[in-house]
Amino acid sequence: MKLNTSQQIVVASPTNTRWAGKIWWGSLLFVLIIGIVSLVKGYFLEGMTSTNLSNIVPWGVWVVFYIYFIGMSAGSFLLSTLIYGFGMHKFEEIGRSALLSATVSMITAITFISLDIGRPDHVLNAIIYWNVTSTMAWEIHFYILYIILLVVELYFSMRPDLVKGASRKTQLAKWYGLLTLGYRNLSQKALELDRKRLKVLGIIGIPLAIFGVHGGTGSIFAVVKSRPFLNTGIFPVVFILSALVSGTALSIAIYIIKNKVLKRSNDVSMVRALGSLLGLFLVVELGLEWYEALIGWYSLKTEELETIHVLAGGPYWWTFWVFQMGLAMVIPLLILFMPRTRKSIPWILAASISTIIGVVGVRFDMVLPILIVPVMKGLPSGNYFPTVSEWVTSFGLIAMCLLLYTLGEKILPIDQHNKEDGGI
Amino acid sequence: MSANKQTSRDKEFKWAMVIDLQKCVGCDTCTVSCKAENRTPPAVSYNVVIEETVGAFPNVRNRNIPRPCMQCDKPPCVQVCPVRASYKLENGIVAIDNDRCIGCRYCQVACPYGARSYDFGLSYEQEMVGYNEVQGSDYGKNHGERNATSVPVGTVRKCTFCMHRLERGEEPACVETCIGDARYFGDLNDPNSVVSKLAANSRAFRLKEELGTEPRVIYLL
Repeated sequence: MKLNTSQQIVVASPTNTRWAGKIWWGSLLFVLIIGIVSLVKGYFLEGMTSTNLSNIVPWGVWVVFYIYFIGMSAGSFLLSTLIYGFGMHKFEEIGRSALLSATVSMITAITFISLDIGRPDHVLNAIIYWNVTSTMAWEIHFYILYIILLVVELYFSMRPDLVKGASRKTQLAKWYGLLTLGYRNLSQKALELDRKRLKVLGIIGIPLAIFGVHGGTGSIFAVVKSRPFLNTGIFPVVFILSALVSGTALSIAIYIIKNKVLKRSNDVSMVRALGSLLGLFLVVELGLEWYEALIGWYSLKTEELETIHVLAGGPYWWTFWVFQMGLAMVIPLLILFMPRTRKSIPWILAASISTIIGVVGVRFDMVLPILIVPVMKGLPSGNYFPTVSEWVTSFGLIAMCLLLYTLGEKILPIDQHNKEDGGI
Repeated sequence: MSANKQTSRDKEFKWAMVIDLQKCVGCDTCTVSCKAENRTPPAVSYNVVIEETVGAFPNVRNRNIPRPCMQCDKPPCVQVCPVRASYKLENGIVAIDNDRCIGCRYCQVACPYGARSYDFGLSYEQEMVGYNEVQGSDYGKNHGERNATSVPVGTVRKCTFCMHRLERGEEPACVETCIGDARYFGDLNDPNSVVSKLAANSRAFRLKEELGTEPRVIYLL
């Protein structure tokens, strides 16, 4: 197992990688700092008036990004359970990075939704008082459980490498030693036990991620009977599917980009298998979305028709046609089904990146069109587009997410490219 | 003995409002008097009058639907609140504990009547000197001066059936000021009350009855 990849690369191509790294860190830090400035100026000093939210559209871009990152997290985690829970060792190499991206996405999601809270000083009430009929209350508790599970699982998946790294003469040896908490057992038996622990955690995690975290987040929206377009049984399922889509796309993109940066070769058959998996998830998602729209449309109810109208023909039609249907559906599907492109690594990467960008539109369309249509005929229609402050803060948090991931890769044994000891 | 009787009777009150749409002229007096009574800030209105034009020219008419909070018996807002800051009182009113509300606005999304507003912290101080000196007394609570951090700024607010007025034996402001006497207020537990009688009228209906929210505001068509 390569523990100090970064150093080895520096040896391999000193100037190029160093510069690329500097630009990456520098630009992300810059965006993050601007984001923090905007956060303090907007959210902390001006409160919700720094947003374009109103009493007709009470939820905006922060909620959109919150469910976007929740989806990324649940999807990445489910992909990792294929390995740790179900023993699909074909995907071994992306296991830890999927767990890391799941953890980092979850942290980002929680940061986004914390911004949407009007009274940060009251926020502990969400833990103290628990309304058992509230899906949101359940979610808050599921998120806490889920993030603990992610961290524990990531820790156990890395522990053998932490132990090994602690005894090597590298910069990180001391840090690794600290993280092992004094644990030094590397016997076959101990490794076997760790593998079992991972399996149990993975299997507990599957229902937690599917029904608790993601299906549950879908239910936050689906239980709202005042918005007939959302109020369907299929909505939480669409949510889970789009999580799988975005999580798989994210894992593919991270894997290929990382190998490109580190000038390493890809495990071509694994990338192709992941590509097919992404294609499959996309097709199922398209099917479910079709039924959701069809049943709403067929009812001919005013709210349903108006929501579909806002979605496909309103002022923000492009979020649906360009992002949701184009970037996150038709383009990746074409790439992943055409014989010429579906086997090519660059094309699969293109499909993944297109999906990752497009899913922002998917999330946008889950939150906003239903809020724009008034709940009662005669009440004013909503109109919402994020303010500059909302955008800048959002980009800052996205930069924070990328920084956290890069930092994790640097200071933790996440990379599993060299599988000399089979990983765990 | 009589004191006991009094408390048990208190619990027995089930407040309800009846609005006769034939009498409503759409003058918005209810909206204005509500704003004055509850000192609601800009962008917060506990009561609005939804004006709709029905039909095609030349056969058109205006329909005005005054819309306070429906004080539902099965309130979706109470169901979804993550911190139990919204709850049902024994007298039928749906209350908000603004000291507990975290301002997530889930109830606003869940309300089928659009009756809830978020307090963005705006103020009429520019137009009305002294506006910030005292806040409205929702549910009989005194929140003192209005500033950026004082409750209920940053939380969700809605019509309280003027509970602070009910407690001193007065009708809600909108009922008292309605120029056409289109609003009636009273106790649905008392079969002889005006609201009980009107609720049994064949003209009586409630908004979005099909959702099963069981509103306590009854309209007469």
